[in-house]
Amino acid sequence: MPSNPTTINIPPRWDIFCCVVDNFGDIGICWRLARQLANEYSLAIRLWVDKPEAFLAICPSVTFLNEQAQFENVAIHTWPEHWPQTTAEQTADVVIEAFGCDLPATYLKAMSEREQAPLWLNLEYLSAEDWVESCHLLPSPQTNGLKKTFFFPGFTDKTGGLLREENLIEQRRRFQSKGGAKQQFLASLGVHQTNQAVLVSLFTYPNTALPLWLDELANGTQRCHLLIPQGLISQAVAKYLAQQKLNVGERYQKGQLCIQAIPFISQQEYDQLLWSCELNLVRGEDSFVRAQWAGQPMLWHIYPQAEAAHLIKLEAFLSHYTRTMTAENAAQYRSISMAWNSAEAPPHKGWLEFLLSATNRAHASNWCTDLSQQKNLAESLWRFYRNWL
Amino acid sequence: MKTAQEMKANSVMLIDGQPWMVQKAEFTKSGRNSAIVKMKLKNLLSGSTTETVFKADDKVEPVILEKVAVTYSYSMDTTYVFMDDNFNQYELNADDIESVLPYIVDGMTDICEAVFFEGKVISVDLPTTIVRQITYTEGSARGDTSGKVMKPAKLSNGTEVKVADFCEIDDWIEIDTRTGEYKCRAKAPA
Repeated sequence: MPSNPTTINIPPRWDIFCCVVDNFGDIGICWRLARQLANEYSLAIRLWVDKPEAFLAICPSVTFLNEQAQFENVAIHTWPEHWPQTTAEQTADVVIEAFGCDLPATYLKAMSEREQAPLWLNLEYLSAEDWVESCHLLPSPQTNGLKKTFFFPGFTDKTGGLLREENLIEQRRRFQSKGGAKQQFLASLGVHQTNQAVLVSLFTYPNTALPLWLDELANGTQRCHLLIPQGLISQAVAKYLAQQKLNVGERYQKGQLCIQAIPFISQQEYDQLLWSCELNLVRGEDSFVRAQWAGQPMLWHIYPQAEAAHLIKLEAFLSHYTRTMTAENAAQYRSISMAWNSAEAPPHKGWLEFLLSATNRAHASNWCTDLSQQKNLAESLWRFYRNWL
Repeated sequence: MKTAQEMKANSVMLIDGQPWMVQKAEFTKSGRNSAIVKMKLKNLLSGSTTETVFKADDKVEPVILEKVAVTYSYSMDTTYVFMDDNFNQYELNADDIESVLPYIVDGMTDICEAVFFEGKVISVDLPTTIVRQITYTEGSARGDTSGKVMKPAKLSNGTEVKVADFCEIDDWIEIDTRTGEYKCRAKAPA
């Protein structure tokens, strides 16, 4: 007698390939995406990373065993230098090459041998430039017979959107409204905000004009408590203070400016840091996006490129970000951003006051609210996959 | 094999065994994003069009096509007629010559190349540099003589080209047909 058929729901398998170029931005984004897809869409996610030490830096509690680890429902694998022979069955249903990285040749061959070709996506870096909309979701036929699709994050409905966990905004609201949550979190970092001092986070690329901006803070009228996560920028600030290095927890006073280095923190803690500060100076893509979800004033330090090519990308963002500002405020915000990204001195004395102004605070909050109405990146990917099936 | 960025308008490549002609290719390199080439492709067998995007260094399989020297003869509605030395006429639809259409003007004497695939004419290539006459442009606003300040100008067929500020109506100019950019002022063709 035949047994009752049992339906076993096997979750679709997704492979995300991440080649770490430098710093922690690339792996940070891939990890957030992997985690969200696994936990919100019940997908079987493997994250392949060529430099596991970069992953371990952001998730230090994870232990790799035989080049792999399991954490928060994601299988994290070391992407080996020499990829072994792979069968079609070992490849995933959806393959994401993050930021245009080249997939291993043997894996590609196995993909082409599958009975049903996988959905192959090239997930690109974030850009607000107009051309992104026209390239988002375009196919890219390859000589091996497979078709790749370009997938672009972005700021409009015609793009893949931004990485945002389903409950992120609600989490932030709860944190900001719960009495003592901010103080408790800051205390865990050894930070005690003094009266009247505004809390500012600084996480940027090296900037030769940084001393000029710090001088402005030191000589200004507003007391400022500057928090600096560990990294290259903390070395630059130590140099500014004529210190060998910044000791975590120690406070360095210069005029109105109090500088404090904080420990290397997890992604969740970094979110809380952004939610706690009145102004966030952020960089690249990951912290830049998270700062927008913080709904607080921010200033972006874009990844610098040869021949100032990055300024075009910055301009594209600014044109979106300042669209609903008054012409005067937009000009102010633009001039501050351009100076910050061009290694120039602050454009005027009132730059900090402007960034902290009630108008700019309201703008940052409204920008966050508007953006959060869009589909998030993970949801866009998942929907595209569902439609492709 | 060629790279995607080597494929220009009118190049043809094989995709899944089908010949596809590049009608338009736009190269983009932005920040840390991959350098990409967005292409409008036309299937030479079915006539269908599609848009694709390639990484600039993606490998593609080009198709070598037969070419014959022709000159522009006349047009009727959306049909453009070219003629070779033996007075053979070749008709092309406007869609087939989208990238060269802005430079087609009555009376042009440029030696072009008609492109054939399996015996059928499919497009026309223009010389890299062509000479055209300005039929309208505003006067020089700033008196600039460096050639760095640009302004819009119209050709006799209505095509708009950015030209040096010192260019005037009836001037002849050289245009790079690969980019559509003004190169310099020129003498009237003999």
